[in-house]
Amino acid sequence: MGSWLDYTINGLIIGNIYALVAVGLALIFGVSHLINFAHGSVYAVGAYVGWACFTYLHLPLPLTALAVIIVCGGLGIAIERIGLRPLAGAPRIAPLLATIGISLVLDQLLQIAFTPDPRALPSPLPNWRISLGGGTIGALDLLIAATGLVSAGVLYFFLRFTKLGWAVRATAQDRDAARQMGVDTDAVNRAVFAIASALGGLSGLLVGMYFNHIDPAMSFQATLKGVVAQVIGGMGNVPGAIAGSLLLGLTESYGVALFGSSYRNLFSFVLLLLILVLRPNGLFASARVTPPEPMTGTFVAPSRVLRIPPWAVGLALAAAVVLPLLPNIAYMLQVMTNAWLMAMLAISLTLVAGTLGQVSLGHAALLLLGAYASALLALDSGWPIWASVPAAGVLTSVIGTALAAPAFRLRSHYVSIATLGIGEIVSLVILNWESLTRGPMGVTNIPPLAIGKLELDSPQAAYWASLAVLVVLALLQSRLLRSHLGRTFRAIRDDDVAARAYGVSLDRYKGIGFAFAGFGAGVSGAIAAHLYSYINNETFTSTVSITALTMVILGGMGNLLGAIVGAVALTALPEMFRGTAEYRMLIYGVVLLLIRFRPQGVLGTV
Amino acid sequence: MSTELLRLEGIDTFYGPVQVHFGLSLSVRAGQIVSLLGGNASGKSTTMKVILGLLRPRAGRVSFDGRDITGLPTHQVIRQGIGSVPEARRLFGAMTVRENLLMGAFARSDRLVIARDLERMLELFPRVRQRLENRAGTLSGGEQQMVAMARALMGRPRLICMDEPTMGLSPLFVDRVLELIQAVNREGVTVFMVEQNASLALQIAHYAYVLQTGRIILQGEAGEMARNPKIRDAYLGGPDAKATAA
Repeated sequence: MGSWLDYTINGLIIGNIYALVAVGLALIFGVSHLINFAHGSVYAVGAYVGWACFTYLHLPLPLTALAVIIVCGGLGIAIERIGLRPLAGAPRIAPLLATIGISLVLDQLLQIAFTPDPRALPSPLPNWRISLGGGTIGALDLLIAATGLVSAGVLYFFLRFTKLGWAVRATAQDRDAARQMGVDTDAVNRAVFAIASALGGLSGLLVGMYFNHIDPAMSFQATLKGVVAQVIGGMGNVPGAIAGSLLLGLTESYGVALFGSSYRNLFSFVLLLLILVLRPNGLFASARVTPPEPMTGTFVAPSRVLRIPPWAVGLALAAAVVLPLLPNIAYMLQVMTNAWLMAMLAISLTLVAGTLGQVSLGHAALLLLGAYASALLALDSGWPIWASVPAAGVLTSVIGTALAAPAFRLRSHYVSIATLGIGEIVSLVILNWESLTRGPMGVTNIPPLAIGKLELDSPQAAYWASLAVLVVLALLQSRLLRSHLGRTFRAIRDDDVAARAYGVSLDRYKGIGFAFAGFGAGVSGAIAAHLYSYINNETFTSTVSITALTMVILGGMGNLLGAIVGAVALTALPEMFRGTAEYRMLIYGVVLLLIRFRPQGVLGTV
Repeated sequence: MSTELLRLEGIDTFYGPVQVHFGLSLSVRAGQIVSLLGGNASGKSTTMKVILGLLRPRAGRVSFDGRDITGLPTHQVIRQGIGSVPEARRLFGAMTVRENLLMGAFARSDRLVIARDLERMLELFPRVRQRLENRAGTLSGGEQQMVAMARALMGRPRLICMDEPTMGLSPLFVDRVLELIQAVNREGVTVFMVEQNASLALQIAHYAYVLQTGRIILQGEAGEMARNPKIRDAYLGGPDAKATAA
């Protein structure tokens, strides 16, 4: 039993750390109805500031904590100023993308400044532990618990008894009404971002000390965990976020106790899905109320479409077809082959996110499904490649749609969170289902593309094959968009209540949309698997999902041609400037921030 | 002749490409109840937004007590001495009635006087006293309207702007709210109210403007307007307007 006490203590400590992140997300969601995807980056910055203070300045812990609070609080104010304030009145997706953009920029800057390698962040606290029952508690555990409790207490006092706290609560309930009481809501936003970011940074410092390990990748995980905890407790609900965090910490800890540490994240995302399906308003709200819809109005910015004349498209296609005939172009061909594969993913995502209005943040999981399906069919079942690739598309379509089905009843923000979670679950199941997927080893020696005996292993052949598949998928999709299905999809996007009132079954049409999108993305993943010859569960991560979303937005949501243009631009351009590869995510982040000036994308939303 | 407290001159406003106001001008004299009448989509509520600084006009000028307040952020407009009773009341539903009332005094810092004002509001709105510790979201529409009025008065405004104060209320409450508006006005607060139900508004207003598709098409003493049958039939919903209100 002793170990169970240990796991409980461990769960509560981790829960406390999550709470510091989740409370900030909840405060921000409360006043601005925004999931701040940059929150995890602030947390990572906090950890690195702490590391720098310990290593270079040899500051004691209290001063280090103070430095973290000041730097991160200031960073929060900057994020509000750059990412949020100028977007008041912009289409509702704009601030969400801006925070994703800021997050990409911050993460990349951290990597450039501190390298992507993990670092140790040794705790300066005395290394004693006291026994308690069968478990033990150390000084750092107590510090984390105390930080959590004190922060919660201070926050409660602030919200309850200070004038600014009242303003925060009033703004959270009704921003315009609060203004009409004389509340400076911009100042409220600034204060909330500062407080939330200071807490987030503090959490990063404590986590780094707790695991004696920091790396730039910790940022995204923190955002995920904070969002999960917040969904459990109810979006924007501050006490709920604390309870949700503790519950999440305990669930993970017991999961680890039962199945091992590679199951930690799987447990949190399954918990997320359960909550979204069973109690989308969080544990503490009545389950019957439909999730509140903070994003009123059309999620996608309406715009005039830039028409590309058919001859120009034909010309571009012809140029693409003859490209491999140019001499000395092998590297360029590899880049462009990747661009075509990304374009398949992008047109799939633009259908779901743009035309159907379901902004998926888990699209890379479809690539994984397709890649594994085709690789395993070819290797373990001896299927020929010409059969395994389309079969992978069908399997991805079926599995992907079934997995996304729980998200069909959700809207906007919640769809994004759910798909993000589903994507993580797919990757984690692949990691843990060793008998089928070979687990962390990955799948090696995947045979190259081939049609019968004809092996397509030259760069030219791979290029033409990918381009041909892309053209077929794009033609199919354009046919789909012109049919009654395209119209129905757009109707669901623009007003799902009205669409339902006209007899449209949301589940059926969302299912059709996801199925079609799943097929294209699955084929893309399958081809990629045969080109790479090695895949594992991290071949396509959520970074790929966000990259694809950036492409779709750059081209114009729902715009088929735009998605292809976006994919080519964002895949090929960073390669043209050699040495910019490490700035790739920085470029994506800046693109997402610049989208403010042209929210409809280059070619316009459809 | 009393002095002018609020003045709008040549206001043009737009929602994107759609123009709402076309050179709107009006003025509110201190101590009066002035009503802005008009049908759906005439631009009434938008006028309120312009005054409160929630929407910036593309052209024109808003002045309060002789000072230009055009384009001032809302919280500063409120601090000039303007109180607002928003359309559909917009109480802070998860906060108690007491907290809502105190939010009304947010722009003030004289704690002791605020406590006294709270007591005064409870005398003026005795029904509110019984619900003081209830969450505002649990109140009936009529009770919420009273809290909204009391909340606006807690800021000690010189001008109170009311957007459709009788909307969605039962007939009994409509009369009560009208009486209260008059009582507030008697205490020296100038009232500018936007109302769809013209015959109700004209019962208590001193002066009225009629707004149609963003232009003032008619103005005058409320009594004269109410008596003029031509005006009543053409712009104020005809003789049965009161029946529709009930």
